[in-house]
Amino acid sequence: MKKSLGLLLVLIAACIITYLLNDRFLAPVNIENLLRRTALFSLISIGAAFVITSGGIDLSIGSMVCLVGTLLPWLTTTHNWPCVAALLLLIGVAATLGACHGLLITRLKLQPFIVTLCGLLLYRGITRGLTGDQTQGFGSEFEGIRSIALTKISFGGLLPIAIPSVAFITIAVALLAALVMNRTRYGLYLRAVGRNEVAATYSGINTNVIKALAYVTCATLAGVSGVLFVLDVNSAQPSDFGNFYELYAVAAAVLGGCSLRGGEASITGVIIGAALMQVLRNAIVLVDIPTQLEFAIIGGVILIGVGAEEIIRLTAASDKSV
Amino acid sequence: MKIRRFPLILSALILATSSAILLGCSKKEGTGGSNIRLAFITNGVASFWTIAKFGAEAAGKELGVNVSVHMPAEGIVDQKRIVEDLIIRGVDGIAISLIDSHNQASFVNETAKQTALITQDADAPNTDRLAYIGMDNYLAGRMLGQLIKESLPQGGKLAIFVGRVEQDNARKRRQGTIDEVLGRSIDSSRYDPPGTEITNGTYTFVVTLTDQFDRVKAKANCEDAVLRYPDLSGIVGLFAYNAPLCLEALKQTQKVGTIKVFSFDEADETLQGIKDGSISGTIVQNPYEYGFQSIKLLKEIVAGNKQSIPPSKFIDIPARRIDRSSVDAFWADLKKKTGRP
Repeated sequence: MKKSLGLLLVLIAACIITYLLNDRFLAPVNIENLLRRTALFSLISIGAAFVITSGGIDLSIGSMVCLVGTLLPWLTTTHNWPCVAALLLLIGVAATLGACHGLLITRLKLQPFIVTLCGLLLYRGITRGLTGDQTQGFGSEFEGIRSIALTKISFGGLLPIAIPSVAFITIAVALLAALVMNRTRYGLYLRAVGRNEVAATYSGINTNVIKALAYVTCATLAGVSGVLFVLDVNSAQPSDFGNFYELYAVAAAVLGGCSLRGGEASITGVIIGAALMQVLRNAIVLVDIPTQLEFAIIGGVILIGVGAEEIIRLTAASDKSV
Repeated sequence: MKIRRFPLILSALILATSSAILLGCSKKEGTGGSNIRLAFITNGVASFWTIAKFGAEAAGKELGVNVSVHMPAEGIVDQKRIVEDLIIRGVDGIAISLIDSHNQASFVNETAKQTALITQDADAPNTDRLAYIGMDNYLAGRMLGQLIKESLPQGGKLAIFVGRVEQDNARKRRQGTIDEVLGRSIDSSRYDPPGTEITNGTYTFVVTLTDQFDRVKAKANCEDAVLRYPDLSGIVGLFAYNAPLCLEALKQTQKVGTIKVFSFDEADETLQGIKDGSISGTIVQNPYEYGFQSIKLLKEIVAGNKQSIPPSKFIDIPARRIDRSSVDAFWADLKKKTGRP
């Protein structure tokens, strides 16, 4: 938590400024929208955090979202598969592809950048080929399965807002991820591998398995979020669904305190990072900032966030030295 | 002590600057007139939408309502987010060009419960949207087909270039063009898959290539097609940027003039091409009127004048054909409307 203090401050500042400019920012529906979006983007970011902690990178996240998100309605509506079978198959495919990344990187010693870049091209390409570039969706059917992503739980008036179901999924995943990262031997080994792979190997850690598992985690979470994304919007166009999401995931992970050099992770930070980006995009519409400036604002604030983080670190360091 | 204070002051400064930037960027509330707030949402970023933006803003100024124009840069997830945020914003009415009208039906109905909603450019019939403003893309396609038949009376091989073929407007434009050229009956539900060669003996559509809005790919597609089909006699660009990029490709292969180019929409390069004779003609929509009429209708609806919606719920802004004889007048009018020199 301490690690992400600077980022949290920037997030709070962004929220306060947006609220001051438009008090509808804190309207219950808006908070619900933000929770849902943050939850969806947090899932891919948590996956990215595992891979980044291992010292690697996964560029195939967006295409994996596309593959799973597009093929789910394709299998169920065009090919009449039962939902559960399609879901299990696609999540299985995502995990297997993650394992393939892991094997290619650890056994063939290929660079993670290249392996996952090929994944980026392959999965989107395959999806476009299979679907013939046709937009896929559930139409007005499959209300049951869509409710996985669309249900809100209201707690009978105890809370002023209803919590979207995807938020619970993400909280469960985040708790599990934090537990694995901080309290298990796997988490310890993962950070050790990320910090110094050679040293980790010599201390008897099976670095190959540790690294490969990080890619499996990342690909699986990307697959799960692909399912949730398509259930949420009900339409996936193979050529643009999930485009650039790997960059959002990596950005949220790095913002949240994962070092691209490997060995450091903070799941709380990752979620704050993902939330910051969603709040900024929300603010741009609420405050009437011209949409053309969207990316400029996001880029600028991320820079401020990383700067603030560093400043706090320096302050803490100088406090110690005084 | 000094060392410790410096970073804190710096972070305060950074926060102050960022808030100043945010405040500075935000537009001031519209002055005078009513407090009606309307939004015009496109299906992407394009010069076509810039013209529509001028129309929407002109209507806002004339009618004294606040108008904001939003162009989702990242597809359907982005479009949904913008609509949700606008509803939070308390917008009174929305005119939207749907990206995937079939699968967005429940989203349209949900939104229509919360604000006055009309569709423009791409419609979602059988939903609760109050009206649709746009043109019939199939008939516009047939209009282009007519132009092709006049320019290539002896027949020949044609290639089609488009961003995406599965988008409703693209599909109908393409089908209309093919049906008219091949002399088929009027049936907008007909669909020839893009992969197959379509012919009636005189005219042959050899291929339809898509670029997913990637301009570099769009040009490469045309270069490749010219190589692959050396006896091509005509090129059809279905989206605004397609024909200008095809023209670029033809310039490099010295085929300008030998291969005729047919276009949609009113990119500057297209209009210049028509003036120079390198493009045979274009079928234009009227994005300025999409913007203007959308805001005008929304204002009436919000003010309670529901009778301004026609019984058909369709306000037709017909397509027009621009060729060498009409290009100068059209271009001058366009420049006047968009305030360009």
